[in-house]
Amino acid sequence: MKSKSLTFYAIIGIIILILMMVLSLNIGVYDFGKSNSYEVFWKFVTGDSTLSLSEKYIIWEVRTSRIIMTVLIGSMLAVSGTTLQGMFKNPLATGESIGLTSGATLLAAIAIVLGHTFESYLPEIVRNSLVGVSAFVGALLSMIIVYRISTSNGKTNVVMMLLSGVAITSIGFSITGFLIYISKDEQLRDLTFWNLGSLAAATWTKNIILSVVLLLSYLIILPKGKALNAMMLGEKDAEHLGINVETLKKQIVVITALMVGTCVAFSGTIGFVGLIVPYILRLLFRSDYHFILPLSAICGSILLLIADTLSRTIVAPSELPIGILTSLIGGPVFIAILIKFKNTLR
Amino acid sequence: MIKGHQINYQSQKISILKDVDIQVGYGEFLAIVGPNGAGKSSLLNVLANEIKTDKKQNIQFKDKILTDWDFGDLSKHKAKFSQHNAQDIPLLVKDVVMMGRYPYFSSQPHSDDFRSAEKAMAETDVIHFQNREYNSLSGGEKQRVHLSRVLAQLDNDVVHRLLFLDEPLNNLDIKHQYRTLELIKNFTQNDNTAIVVLHDLNLAARFADKILLMEKGQVLAHGSPEEVFTQETISKAYNFPCTICKHPVNDDTMILFG
Repeated sequence: MKSKSLTFYAIIGIIILILMMVLSLNIGVYDFGKSNSYEVFWKFVTGDSTLSLSEKYIIWEVRTSRIIMTVLIGSMLAVSGTTLQGMFKNPLATGESIGLTSGATLLAAIAIVLGHTFESYLPEIVRNSLVGVSAFVGALLSMIIVYRISTSNGKTNVVMMLLSGVAITSIGFSITGFLIYISKDEQLRDLTFWNLGSLAAATWTKNIILSVVLLLSYLIILPKGKALNAMMLGEKDAEHLGINVETLKKQIVVITALMVGTCVAFSGTIGFVGLIVPYILRLLFRSDYHFILPLSAICGSILLLIADTLSRTIVAPSELPIGILTSLIGGPVFIAILIKFKNTLR
Repeated sequence: MIKGHQINYQSQKISILKDVDIQVGYGEFLAIVGPNGAGKSSLLNVLANEIKTDKKQNIQFKDKILTDWDFGDLSKHKAKFSQHNAQDIPLLVKDVVMMGRYPYFSSQPHSDDFRSAEKAMAETDVIHFQNREYNSLSGGEKQRVHLSRVLAQLDNDVVHRLLFLDEPLNNLDIKHQYRTLELIKNFTQNDNTAIVVLHDLNLAARFADKILLMEKGQVLAHGSPEEVFTQETISKAYNFPCTICKHPVNDDTMILFG
């Protein structure tokens, strides 16, 4: 499966992704009447004046922006999972299992409640960015705590890693629960949205921020495939191969926290994308990060796009929270990995 | 090649290395020998810049302080074979060997990287299972894969390369023990240097140019095999009776214990 070059698989992946994006553009509750979505989209692009305002809004602000956001978030969630697995040298490490997501959710929740309290003093843009920055800080703090607890002398104790994730998740859960308990109606709606995860709130402003974060992170992280492979030898042997392990780990800690934090701030908790995608890629390419790191950027988008399209069709005209769907696939995958590594996870 | 002066190292308040002086020249095959816990591996790790102590160690590699070297440059001048190799690497054997070429290419291996990897795999007799899963190999086979990786790493045009090996003969059968030592010997023939921790004194006597005998974190003797391997020194170091004689066939120094 690995005889062809990385470019070959990347091109195939991108073709599938574009096909999926085109397909999902035509799927949705709104009925454009006589013309189909592609004609409406074409009219929008060419600036046709016969297009009604609501059709314009649906095709551009609702469908297209949501598809773009799904692609960006799916990609980042998958890459953050793959990168974490490389650093912790374990296929069970993801934003959810080690508590990154709940750390980000917790601080984002605090920011929402505080933001509503000081609503009259803070302009909306400040409140929105406050949620994003808090989520990043929450993810970063959880990451540092888990790493400090579970790793000594460059060796990660998997049990400690997962258990400290459990601890952070339960702290996050109880405080978020408390916030829900004391919050008013409007805050409650925002907080519930966080816990279930949704891509419905997509806007172009969010997409621009997400794209900037994605480009910045990928410039640093995607060329690290070789370095993550060498980490499998052990950190000291990786250093003998000319890799500055300390710098690499610092970059990974900050970048994954940035990616997970931004995703949580804009779409809430969409679990297990960072677990499922590398799991599937490992079945095809083993643990060769030179392949699975860049490819998870593409496959993450594909997976989340499928999940999101499903979530807005299976119970139409209503919509299933996407976090439910991804966790439904993620849980069994987690168990599958556990069974496979039963003997080595001691 | 590499010089260390007054090397001290403590771990959890126990002194592992005490004022060790060491100097290894170009083209030298140095074997570090000694009983368990003598500090052989620690000395090798300090020389290879693995242990980061608070105090700066005074180690000069090619007349430049070791810690001043650039990571990338250093990986083309020296390589290390570790005693404890990773057991779980879900890759093919040839992918693991190709890691040795990582300092030389950025994304895709070039044709000379494949050539180096293949040459190293042929030399260490792993080429016939290059397409197998690394995790399916036996201990000795894994050992040879890493040896192959380290050899591939130093397959370049740099003059005076340095190879560290920590007990490379563990788990190897007789044929591969000799083959490995011959490989190291060949490597040192072109003015390259090898510093090797060995347990088998007779093999050390046969292949090494110089012997460094350690005991309790200190250097007990340093010199040619004939100088170091005397009945008195060895019995003292290992606290076990021994006899020194000549190999009946090739006249090498031979140590018989018991």
